[in-house]
Parts: sequence; C-alpha cells; structure tokens
Amino acid sequence: MTIRPSGFSVLRAGRGSFLLHRRAALVATVLGAALAVTAVVYLCVGESFVSPTEVVRVLAGRPSPDEFVVGTLRMPRLVVGLLAGAAFGLAGAFIQTVARNPLASPDVIGVTHGAGAATVAAMTFGVTAHTALPYVAILGGTAAAALVYVFAWRRGLHATRFVLIGIGISVALGSLTQLFVTKGDYLVAQQAKVWLTGSLNGRGYDHAVPLAVISLVLMPALFWAARAQRTVSFDDDTATALGVRLGRVRLCLIVLGVVLASVATGATGPVDFVALLAPQIARRLTRTAQIPLVGSALTGALIMAVADLLARKLFSPIELPVGVFTAAVGAPYLMWLIVRTRSRSGGAA
Amino acid sequence: MSRATSRRVGRTAGGALLLLLAGLLVLAVLLSLAVGSRQIAPGDVVDALLHGGAGDDAQVVRSLRAPRTLIGVMVGVALAVAGTVMQGITRNPIAEPGILGVSQGASVGVVCAIAFLGVHSLSGYVWFAFAGAGIAAVAVHVIAAGGRGGATPVKLALAGTAMNALLASVVSGIVTTDARALDEFRFWHVGSISGRSVEIAGQTWPFLLAGLLLVAAVARGLDALALGEDVARGLGHNVPLLRILGGLGATVLTGVAVAAAGPIAFTGLAVPHIARALMGTDHRWVLPAAALLGPVMILVADVLGRVVFPPSEVPVAVMTALLGVPFLIALVRRKGTVAA
Repeated sequence: MTIRPSGFSVLRAGRGSFLLHRRAALVATVLGAALAVTAVVYLCVGESFVSPTEVVRVLAGRPSPDEFVVGTLRMPRLVVGLLAGAAFGLAGAFIQTVARNPLASPDVIGVTHGAGAATVAAMTFGVTAHTALPYVAILGGTAAAALVYVFAWRRGLHATRFVLIGIGISVALGSLTQLFVTKGDYLVAQQAKVWLTGSLNGRGYDHAVPLAVISLVLMPALFWAARAQRTVSFDDDTATALGVRLGRVRLCLIVLGVVLASVATGATGPVDFVALLAPQIARRLTRTAQIPLVGSALTGALIMAVADLLARKLFSPIELPVGVFTAAVGAPYLMWLIVRTRSRSGGAA
Repeated sequence: MSRATSRRVGRTAGGALLLLLAGLLVLAVLLSLAVGSRQIAPGDVVDALLHGGAGDDAQVVRSLRAPRTLIGVMVGVALAVAGTVMQGITRNPIAEPGILGVSQGASVGVVCAIAFLGVHSLSGYVWFAFAGAGIAAVAVHVIAAGGRGGATPVKLALAGTAMNALLASVVSGIVTTDARALDEFRFWHVGSISGRSVEIAGQTWPFLLAGLLLVAAVARGLDALALGEDVARGLGHNVPLLRILGGLGATVLTGVAVAAAGPIAFTGLAVPHIARALMGTDHRWVLPAAALLGPVMILVADVLGRVVFPPSEVPVAVMTALLGVPFLIALVRRKGTVAA
C-alpha cells in the first residue's frame, strides 16, 4: 500500500521515484513564464525601443539590425541579473531553512558585506581581473559568516545573538570597505564605488562566466540539498530519530548558501534584500511547509530583472542602481516581518 | 541597565574621576590640534592659540584644526548624551542614534530640504534634521514595540537596520537624480568633521544647549526608570512625560550632530557604557562623564583617521564604527543582554 500525501503526485522512472508537489510545480511554471515575458520586455525597453519580434530574432540567432543593442548591450546585463538573482534566492532559501527564521538572510548576517569588503580590498591591492574577483568574494563572504558564527557561539547558538552579532559585523565590514576605498588611488576608488552601489550597469559576459561556472559546479550539491532540506525542516527530535546527522546537514546547507550569496555579490555588488524576499514570496505562492528551492531561485531572478528594469526606466535618462529598488521594497517588508514576529519559530524576538 | 541594582559613586571619587576625564579631553584636544599631515609641536599649538602668530603652523592650527576640533567636541557631546538618554528611556543596552536609524532619518530630512525645498543654509535645514530624526525615532520604536514581546534589543536593532536600509535607498535615489543635491550633500554623506567652518559651531550651539537642558531635566527620572516602569510610577514620576521629554532631547541632540557632521554611529553606544562602568547608575554622574568621554572618542577617532593612510583622510564615522563594533559584540555576548 502506498501512502500519498495530499497535494503530491508521484513520478516514477524505473526504480527511482520523486514526490512532486503539484501546486509548487504549477507555481514554478507560472514563474518561468513570467520570467520569459519579463526578459523579452527587458530586452525591448531602454534608451531606444526594440520591437519584440526583433528581440526574438536576435535570441534565435538570426541576423537583425538591432543585434548590437539587444545582443551586446542588454543581453549580458540581463544574464548577470538573472543568474545573480537566482543565486541570491537560493542562498536565502538555504539559510532561512536552517535558521527557521526569515530574518536570518545573507544580508543581515554579514555575508554580502564580507564579500564586498574582500572585493574592494582586492581591487585596492591591484587585483582587478573579473576572473579572480568572484573567488575573492567567496573567500570574504565565507570568512565573514565564520566570524559571525564564532562570535555568536556561546554554549550553543542563539538566533537572537546571531542576528545582533551579524548586524555588528556587517557595520564593521562596511567601515572597513570605506577604509580600503580611501586607501586606494582615485581610479580604484571610482571603480569600487560603482561596484558598491549594487548595480548591473556595465556588466558583461565576463561577469556572467564565473557565476555560471560556479552554479554548474554546485549543481550536484543543489540536488543533494533539495533532499536534505526536507529532513532539516523536521523538528530536531524527529530528524534525529530518522537517523539524520543534523549538525552536518545544517552546516553543509549554510556553507552552500553563503557561497551562493558571495558569488552573486561578487558579480553585482551588494544588492540588498533579494535573498530575504525571494524565499518568503515563493513559499507564500506554493503554500508548502518548507521553502521551495526552484520557486525561490525563479522568484529571485524575477525580482532582480523587474527591479533593474524599473531602475533603468523609471527616472530615465538617469539610471538608478538596482539595489535602491530592492531596498525600497525589501526594507518595509523586513519591518513588517518584525511587527509580525512570533517568538515560537526559533526565538526571533 | 540590565542589572537593576543601583550602584553609585561617592562624591569625592566621582569628582576626581570627572577631573581625570576632563584632563583626558584636554589631551585629546591638543592631539587633534597637533597631529595631521603637518606635525606641529604642542608648544607651538598653545602659542598659536594664545598669541596668534602669522607663521604657517599658526595658520593651520587656527583656520583648519581649531574649527574641526571644536565641531568634534560638540558632536561628541551631543552623540554621547543622546545615546545615554536613549539607552535610559528604552531600557535597552544597544539603543543608539546610529543603530536605531535616527541619524539616517536626520540625513534624509536634510537631503529633502536641499533637493526639494531649496534650503541651503545650516540654520534652515537643521529644523529638517530634527523632523527627520524625530519621525525615524518614533517609527523605529513603533515597529519594534509591535508584535509579541515588546521592544527587545534584537527587534530594535533589526527595525533600525531596516530603517537604515530604507532611508539610505531614499537618499541615494534623491542624490543620483539631483546633481545639485549631490554636490552639497557629498560633504557630510559619510560622517566627517573635516572642512567645517566655525560658523557651523556658531549656528548650532543654541540647539545643543537646548538639547542638553532637556536631558538634564529628566536625569533623575532616568534613574527611577532604570528600576522599572512601575517603580518609576510609584516614585511619583510621570513616565510618558519623561519619555517624551527625554526622547525630544535625544532627537534634538542627534539632529544637531548630523547637521554639523553627518551620521556618525557607535559613539552613542560605547560611551554611555564606559561612563556607566566608571560612575555607576546615577545619571547625574553618568551624563557629565559621557559628555566628557564622547568628544574624546570622536577626536581620537578623527586623529587616527588622519594618520592611517596619509595623505588621505579616513572619515571619522568609519573610525568610530571600527572602534565601536568590538564593543557591541562584547555587549551582546555578555549575559543578560540577550534574554533567552
């Protein structure tokens, strides 16, 4: 006899089987479609309007008079935005799953600031190659997270202490970044400042390549994480009884989240709140108990694309950094979360 | 703070400690006047201040470093006292103008005044700084006090972080779209006390005085409040009035500091705790000690900022944050700050 949880379908292929949440699948499909539409609009709109038919022609690889504008100027920027958005969304999903607390997003616990400080430091000391900087960012983000972890550890990890220390470390790293900007020569300072606003302006395929490579390398880990995530979201006793090594699984998920957030920061600069928003929106859409991974990635990419579209178009001809828009939406959401916080889920308040 | 026990310092010991702190302040002032990209001997500094003199050194001291030091002292007093009062009225050890977003609120007030209303004089936009600081303070408190458990340290800090992020995005939105505002605002975007004229000190001191008087009026009430709201009420204090007056004083002081130097965080966090460690819990001793220590921290941070990467200068706000964060971490790790 098989027990099938309501709302799920079982997919079987030979000996393997997979539980598919029907609503989650539907949401993912709708999000994917929305993403495709947004991408086409994104490529059409700008200083000059390009008709959608031409955009589709360029995407299909056929010759078109608008090949330069769409293919060379707008396309790389969109690709970087989508990849980074998806990475932020996944990072948020992992970290929020482990912390069981929406407030513990990579922005709040110092990861993005660590990646930022490391990148600016590297620029100051003459490392400007786009191939090297993403790895510097990973190093910085991981180091910051480890620092927060060490300082927050005191006979156990307390969510409140973790968040407070994270805020403190973030501020310190932000100041350190300023310090490096001051130290560097004028050119470096200019470059660092542009990067630090969290902008997609002037991002090319050379930014997208490391992002894509690291995402590909992490793919097997992501499949593992999708399974592991389900076990972690049980309460501790149930998970232990089922034979899950909770500590190890949690650590792996956090490391995965930190790496993803750092890579994304390395490509786009610190774009705040995408990692906080995406998993929360995705979970409300799918109405699942745990945070959906595919949904979070798609939502993150969608947020990034829409925010950058608005940032380019709303005050044209002036372009705003995309981080301004994500913060304008994300910060009020964080406030709303604080007002609504219940103390049962991991002791946030 | 978290310990409700009252610990006070004796009259003679307290007086001696205050004298010691005053001596420390004099030392910091001399340091701020003497150290920089041009080193000037302390004797020459005193000479330039007392007798004038026409040499290059005397010029540097009187026209560049003296105004900077004066503004550093005023900002230090304002921030340290504002932090002490905020910690007192919220009964929260990590309350501070920078972390709670009050300084950023004052910034937004000033940017709006410059960009939309064409206000360009300090005496004009200081009012907008007060309004911005007040609105941000009330908003953060309301957000943090909502939900279950009231305004705990972590909720205040998170609400402050969210407020800071939101206001920073508003500021950068306005500044990117309005080139004129950018030009004027750039001067104190990051808190710094360099390049300020003496006029700023002349225009802000009445507000500083008003803020300090408001705070002095509630000093005794803060002592009672430290023992709990009910005890304060039982002792005959009007708690809401106390909070309003104290909050008004802290807001005015923060507004003064921001209008003069831009947002500077962590001075208001670290100094009150040091003052309390020295003086005990009596606010009539803690407040003067904080007022003496605040300028010391600002001036020392500023001098450090001048010497780390010569000839460039690191803004004082960056240095205070680097000095203050270890303090925050120690506080959070201490027992009792984070209730389980």
